[in-house]
Amino acid sequence: MTIKKALRYLLAFGLPILILFLPLSAFGIDGMTIQEQRVVAIFVMAALCWVLEPIPIYTTSVLVIVLELLMLSDKGLLWFRQDAGAAGFGQLLNHKDIMATFASPIIMLFLGGFFLAMAATKYRLDVNLARVLLKPFGDKPANVMLGLMVITAIFSMFMSNTATTAMMLAILVPVLRLFPVDDRGKAGFALSIPVAANIGGTGTPIGTPPNAIALKYFEAQNHTIGFAEWMVFGVPFVVVMLFIAWLLLRFFFPSSKSEMNLEIKGRFMKSPKAILVYVTFIVTLLLWLTSGFHGMNSSTVALIPVAVFSVTQIIGKEDLKQISWDVLWLVAGGFALGLAISETGLAVHAVDSMNLQAVNPAIILVGAALLSITMANFMSHTATANLLMPIAAAIAVSLEGLAMYGGAMTILLCVTFAASLGMSLPISTPPNALAHAAGHTKTSDMAKIGILVGFIGIILSFVRIYLMGQSGFL
Amino acid sequence: MEKLTVICVDDQPEVLNAVARDIGPLASHCEIEECQSAQECLELLDELDAEGTPIALIISDHVMPDKNGVQMLTEIADDHRFKTTRLFLLTGLATHQDTIMAINKAGIDRYFEKAWDPDELLDECRRALTRYVFATGLDYLEYQPVLDAETTYKLISSS
Repeated sequence: MTIKKALRYLLAFGLPILILFLPLSAFGIDGMTIQEQRVVAIFVMAALCWVLEPIPIYTTSVLVIVLELLMLSDKGLLWFRQDAGAAGFGQLLNHKDIMATFASPIIMLFLGGFFLAMAATKYRLDVNLARVLLKPFGDKPANVMLGLMVITAIFSMFMSNTATTAMMLAILVPVLRLFPVDDRGKAGFALSIPVAANIGGTGTPIGTPPNAIALKYFEAQNHTIGFAEWMVFGVPFVVVMLFIAWLLLRFFFPSSKSEMNLEIKGRFMKSPKAILVYVTFIVTLLLWLTSGFHGMNSSTVALIPVAVFSVTQIIGKEDLKQISWDVLWLVAGGFALGLAISETGLAVHAVDSMNLQAVNPAIILVGAALLSITMANFMSHTATANLLMPIAAAIAVSLEGLAMYGGAMTILLCVTFAASLGMSLPISTPPNALAHAAGHTKTSDMAKIGILVGFIGIILSFVRIYLMGQSGFL
Repeated sequence: MEKLTVICVDDQPEVLNAVARDIGPLASHCEIEECQSAQECLELLDELDAEGTPIALIISDHVMPDKNGVQMLTEIADDHRFKTTRLFLLTGLATHQDTIMAINKAGIDRYFEKAWDPDELLDECRRALTRYVFATGLDYLEYQPVLDAETTYKLISSS
């Protein structure tokens, strides 16, 4: 172990332990309890672990859940709860609530999304759709790029951004080899895919994990946004952002090629199972969009493809092992963190003592968005949302001034969209890393596009949130 | 259970018959297809794939009119649809250069010289089917009679 690595461990786990032993008065929060102090320690540990990554990010989530069970719950270690009920000890958490984060409705919504994506890939719906959708864009490089971006964005609304990027790069990169050595267009093409994937992820509730985290906090405030409601605003946002990103990429990375041909082999599978996959996909999507009509919410609908694909063995038990449990656990850990912060009362106490009423809400909104995008550029988008969302939620309820900007949910959405827009470095997101690995883009190219798209995206997301507020969705 | 598909490619019908006969014991769980040219094989692949058939193994000759075996296998190896399909080359007439191509570009799993040992061919087919079943995520229990036991143990314990 290098010294640098040892220091990361020491900081990530040493500082939280130190916090556990501080006197309560050291925090400067009125009415803080022992339980709240423990939550602070766990939160600091999670933050440091997600930023410094001494351990993989999803394992931090698991650790958060287990530590909460041991230290905060009513079925935790005896020594941690023998003072329960005493003055200044605070509220014990119900262990069932903590464990339930693993199977929260939002996690089930994502599981359903995973099943759909997995079946679509297995029966090549994705590649075949890409082939068909790309055709109308012809063979002019600029148009082909737009086509690739549109397809990537559409897919990343339903599949993971990483899987979409990998699939699209697999189609694109062999063609880039045929470009002249010094053609700048290659960088533009390679960048177009991760940019489109990151943008596309914001289009639906299941597009990317930060959206799930946002939904969870809406739910906690007795405020639900349905699949269709999200898309009504999400899709136009994606369309405008894609168009802007496309113009930027063309401007910065013009290509000297006059035509290019992307060859995608294959044809639509027509076995009964494949047809069942197509039908299930369409039906699920329709059910998601018509919640108001049939009364099932999006999480309930999401379990329909799970049942259909399991029963028909379209997703067999070997496929089941391929599910990205790490993503689900990463999100669950964030839920558990949020649960602890709000249920122990820490959220209210902390926000009260920050005295935010004196600050202009607009500054808080912009500050939250900037903090979120900055963090998301350097660490996982999901981890960013996991950390910022509970704080944002606490601020949202206590800050009455937010009402004039579209209500309390505004800040949650600010953070969510900003978290998805962090894409200026190869380490920002797995899609960026994949595109960088193809070797056609310099880090400076990625930074240029990433920062511009991120900046414009933040401004547009304010517009989107404002419009959502105006039309009564928030 | 959906049968696995094994495709044999050779321009000489008598060789095709001999290969099909030697791997006959697999027929309980495999559909054995015969093609007389690379083009025929590629068309069959396209069709079978669209029907969702699991294509487990292709055993191809090298020297054939039009497209040769190594060219065909390279094309198949590069095709995302057949990334778990196992490839065998069975030939008496491949040059040193062809062989290098077959390994480096087509990534063939086994190389057999004509005339081959039928038992060895069958054994290697079983191993290849086993690897295919695991790589594709099919349920190995359904195919056990045609799989290689030792490879199965290894793959279960390493997954």
